[in-house]
Amino acid sequence: MNRRHFIKKTTLFSIGGLLIPSAFLSACKKESLFEDLNYDGKVIIIGAGAAGLYAAYILKSKGINFQILEASPNYGGRLGKLTGFANFPIDTGAQWLHGKNSILGDLITKSNTKLTLDNSETKYWFNNQLVNSLPQNTAIFEGDDLPDISYSDFALQKGLGNEYKYIVENIAGDQGAAASRLSVFGNNQDEENWNSGDDDFKFQETFFDLIDTQIANQVKDSILLNTIVSKIDYSQPTIQITDSNNNSYNADKVIITVAIPILKSADIQFVPALPNEKTTAFSKIGMDAGMKVFLKFSNKFFDQNIIGGPICAAYADDSIGKAQNDQVLLAFVMGEQAEYLTSLGSDTSITTALLQELDTMYNGQATASFIVSHVQNWTTNPFVKGAYSYSTIGMGDARNIAAQPINKKLYFAGEAMNTNGHHQTVHGAVETGYREVINILNDIKK
Amino acid sequence: MRIVLFSMLFFTFISAMAQEFRSDISYKYMFANKWEKAIQTYNFSRPFLEEKQPLLMHGLTASASYIFKSSKKLKHGVHLSYSNFKSSAENDKLNNVLNLHFLNLGYIIHFQNNENAKGFYTDLIISAVSSGLCRYVNDEPFNYDDTRSKAFGIGGGLSIRAGYYLNLKKTELIYLLSFWLVTRHMFIHPIVKR
Repeated sequence: MNRRHFIKKTTLFSIGGLLIPSAFLSACKKESLFEDLNYDGKVIIIGAGAAGLYAAYILKSKGINFQILEASPNYGGRLGKLTGFANFPIDTGAQWLHGKNSILGDLITKSNTKLTLDNSETKYWFNNQLVNSLPQNTAIFEGDDLPDISYSDFALQKGLGNEYKYIVENIAGDQGAAASRLSVFGNNQDEENWNSGDDDFKFQETFFDLIDTQIANQVKDSILLNTIVSKIDYSQPTIQITDSNNNSYNADKVIITVAIPILKSADIQFVPALPNEKTTAFSKIGMDAGMKVFLKFSNKFFDQNIIGGPICAAYADDSIGKAQNDQVLLAFVMGEQAEYLTSLGSDTSITTALLQELDTMYNGQATASFIVSHVQNWTTNPFVKGAYSYSTIGMGDARNIAAQPINKKLYFAGEAMNTNGHHQTVHGAVETGYREVINILNDIKK
Repeated sequence: MRIVLFSMLFFTFISAMAQEFRSDISYKYMFANKWEKAIQTYNFSRPFLEEKQPLLMHGLTASASYIFKSSKKLKHGVHLSYSNFKSSAENDKLNNVLNLHFLNLGYIIHFQNNENAKGFYTDLIISAVSSGLCRYVNDEPFNYDDTRSKAFGIGGGLSIRAGYYLNLKKTELIYLLSFWLVTRHMFIHPIVKR
């Protein structure tokens, strides 16, 4: 063999050595999870909110038999759409996309959904006047070695006196909580895990439309509306679910996506009863009252954001990011303020209380230009009973414990069950939807 | 602290060598369980993708070594290499590209026994490794919060390479054939920037 032949052979050997093992190794690897897994069991999903719809969407993509049982007359959970109130569609539930680095961010890009970055300007109601800025820094709730005490107590410790009460209430309200109940330590831990982005975006149409057209449309044929689950018997190999009309549904696996107050108040009877550790974990996850009140006016007398009102700590111009510009102000009411307004008993009383506060801020212009209101009180919705989950004082590992499956039969999803810092959000709920399908398929695989 | 482990098979197909300096371009096959799981989960959780994101498996490496002159069988030197792995999925309105870069700088121990096995050699490379992962969406760097999305990691690597090389005296070039190389990288401090 001469040198030329030797080089030729070694080159061929080298290329062969490159291609054959890599082709073999590549063929062994799958691009997606569970590509070869077939499951002929039935999965029932309780709740047609974002988590339940997304779990169904994934199950459908895997060809797995499923059904969704939804208690209310509509799907979407804490997503909803109001049309006809203004010349643009309104989100009655979740309306901001919190960061684009998520599945929903990809879905928005792929579906060409129009978003607007919400960088609206803020005015503060402080010492009975509207001001552009506050004398003291209120960004005190992030950092190292924060105590497990409430936002209101921590604010006082840091020298934010009573004049900051409703400013702090707004900061806690962003987390869906009363300042007296939200844990500084717990919420800071959640923030450290957060990685979807800090920018807030508004939809030109609605958040509901995104979920409806891109996800719900794929699975809505399998939703049974007005089906209030009252009992889940998982004592036998086949799980039996009973609704309030005594109808029965059988399943091999159940994904429970109901709002945390439904689990806390034991609206669903479990047979056998859920372990104490589980129910204790549910009880530690906070969820306060929450409502959105849309106030339509004939002229725009208000600022883009008004923070710090004693009746409502956060108002926002709802026309921002919309194609049309009817004058709609959103009162975003959380925690104790939502409890107070709910206690007034009627939508008219709630609207009147808010108009009075706005009249104080804007010299009577609110009542003078008021046209109509729409009150969306999530607290009085019997299938939600609140806004969204938050971290309470002394909560510890409750969210992780609450999210653990039981006996390879019951799986828990929904925003409150998100353990990577994305609870309170739609994309967080979506993440738990596919996570629980992965848990189911992992259990089947074992 | 998160640890990422992976190992690689390595097939050199072009190599050149002067007396002390050598360089080569190689195909690299990567095992990276955590990244594979991440991409598999990405694909699983996005049924709306028509084309799944390929795993980060196939890459190219360019490396250069300088072996200090010595009459001993066991020589030592410095080693520098750059590797690139790419995963690209073209979907309607969502073209997603992942680009993974590695830079290794290390110490090489080169063993060659010309008396018993002429041309055969063994290298042991101990290196510091830095890595960077970038994402591009629709041919633009993926940004959120007006910041480019990227991740970095630093760690260490240990590589063993065995091969054979053929001396072409006329050109003073030596074609080097690596039969295999296994690298185990341990990222002791992945710095996830975004």
